[in-house]
Amino acid sequence: MTSVVRRRLRAALTVAVLLILIWPLLYILVSSFKPIREIMGRAELFPKNPTLANYGTLLFARTPVRDFPRILLNTLYVSTLSALLSVALSSVSAYAIARTRALKSGITSKLLLFIYVFPTIILLTPMYQLFALIGLWDSYYGLVIVYSGLASPFCTWLLVSFFESIPQELEESAAVDGANAVTRFVRIVLPISMPGVVTVAAYAFISAWGEYMFALVMINSSAKKTAALGLATFTAEQYIEWGPLLAGSILIILPIFALFLPVSRFFIRGFMSGAVKA
Amino acid sequence: MTLFRTRKQVLLLVPQIVLLAALYGYPVVRTVVQSFYSVSFGSQQARGVGAANYVGVFRDDAFWAASLSSLYWTAGNLVIQLTVPIFLALLLNEQFKGMNLARATFMLPWVVPTVAFAVCMRWMLLPKIGIVAEALSDTLFFGRQVHLLGSGGFAMPTLILLNSWKFLPFGTLMILAALQTIPREVYEAAMVDGAGAATRFRHITFPLLGSMIWFVGFLAFSWNFNTFDLIWLMTQGGPGTATQTLPVLIYRTAFKTMRLGEASTISVIVAAVLAVIGFAYFLTMKPREGQQR
Repeated sequence: MTSVVRRRLRAALTVAVLLILIWPLLYILVSSFKPIREIMGRAELFPKNPTLANYGTLLFARTPVRDFPRILLNTLYVSTLSALLSVALSSVSAYAIARTRALKSGITSKLLLFIYVFPTIILLTPMYQLFALIGLWDSYYGLVIVYSGLASPFCTWLLVSFFESIPQELEESAAVDGANAVTRFVRIVLPISMPGVVTVAAYAFISAWGEYMFALVMINSSAKKTAALGLATFTAEQYIEWGPLLAGSILIILPIFALFLPVSRFFIRGFMSGAVKA
Repeated sequence: MTLFRTRKQVLLLVPQIVLLAALYGYPVVRTVVQSFYSVSFGSQQARGVGAANYVGVFRDDAFWAASLSSLYWTAGNLVIQLTVPIFLALLLNEQFKGMNLARATFMLPWVVPTVAFAVCMRWMLLPKIGIVAEALSDTLFFGRQVHLLGSGGFAMPTLILLNSWKFLPFGTLMILAALQTIPREVYEAAMVDGAGAATRFRHITFPLLGSMIWFVGFLAFSWNFNTFDLIWLMTQGGPGTATQTLPVLIYRTAFKTMRLGEASTISVIVAAVLAVIGFAYFLTMKPREGQQR
């Protein structure tokens, strides 16, 4: 009896804590349906006259300097390419690390971790100069390279622990059957580590999707702005239109949630198994 | 044969190494070199000035103010980020129906793009309009209107709370991972011996979590120290210079006042301090309990 009561109490506490944590997100969602008068009036929890006007303004009142559908597409493009490039780079290097005894001593993973906590602000100025020099400034591909470079050390670190858990005998028997290294990697290693690959791809995508600092320095043209940058530009205007801003935030948040929730189990598991091995 | 294979496998690392060298190695070298030059933005002309930039930075009040702000910012964040996640992890470290959903929901603050969160919070903190500002003015401030982001005293604590909100899922997940390496039998044995929940936490959970907390602390330290986006998006370092931490100062020096040389100098100083702390961490790092290798 008491254990049932205690379990219920615990569940109630968990739900309450979760609600407190994600409350701002729920409030943003609800408020994005408020008409401008309620957004700029005294704060209320729920909209009295719900409207889609904020979304309408954002999606249909497009100008060359403020084109929200366009910046969403830009972000999608940049994030997808970054995720693909990160997975390609990190899976190959993680495989090499996991299968080379000399690299497994833990120094590599420490080094990767060290790069991961590197103060990126230091890279900002020289990277800007370098990219301007080689013509990758104000270009999607420049951003993709930056984002892959930022994400791939962590992706590699996470994938090494996945690859290491694959029994080497599996690959050896495939080698006996005549499978070469590429076949073994693509046919055996990658499919078995699917949770890891998905985790890594989601991580790279998510971190590219919301990135602000490098986009701020690397992108100049309005037409090439990514979502984070575009949304921030809205607030730099003289008169801030909070309504479309809230709607825009929701449109940036929702796709990333839609992507994250289905893979979250893999993600959390992959992350936790990497964490205890660090 | 083995040697040959090893060599071939190392070749697989080349693409990643090239990318990292271009994105990390080159900028670091360039920053160090540039810290001894006077470089103005846009022009490719640089004038060697010896150690003048360093002298200038060390004499600059803005640098010391930013260092203090960084200290305040990092310490404040760490206090929250090393305590609250332990509590949250203990809460989530239980098998119950809907646990996967609970954990996924719980991760959302980490997934939310900083920009979206920052701009919406700015609205919620507007005096007389924002719900958070109103709620605080009705309770803590006894009806007085306070512009949290516009006040020198409140801006920093507000930003610290918001930044920690985003970090909580990450820290919690790390500690949860460590919690799950503690075998259940240890707790059961302690319960048989009559240890209460508090005793079990103090004598079993906490010591075994020690190294993970140390690890999370190191990651949190680095990330918090380097945070630029949330601060820039919410206050741009203001009001005045109340929230101008070192990364904000570096950005402002390079891209607002266009002094790339000085910005590089500050970067080098920051990197040197962080490197010392980083090496100290790696030297003192002990293998964790339950670690296999």
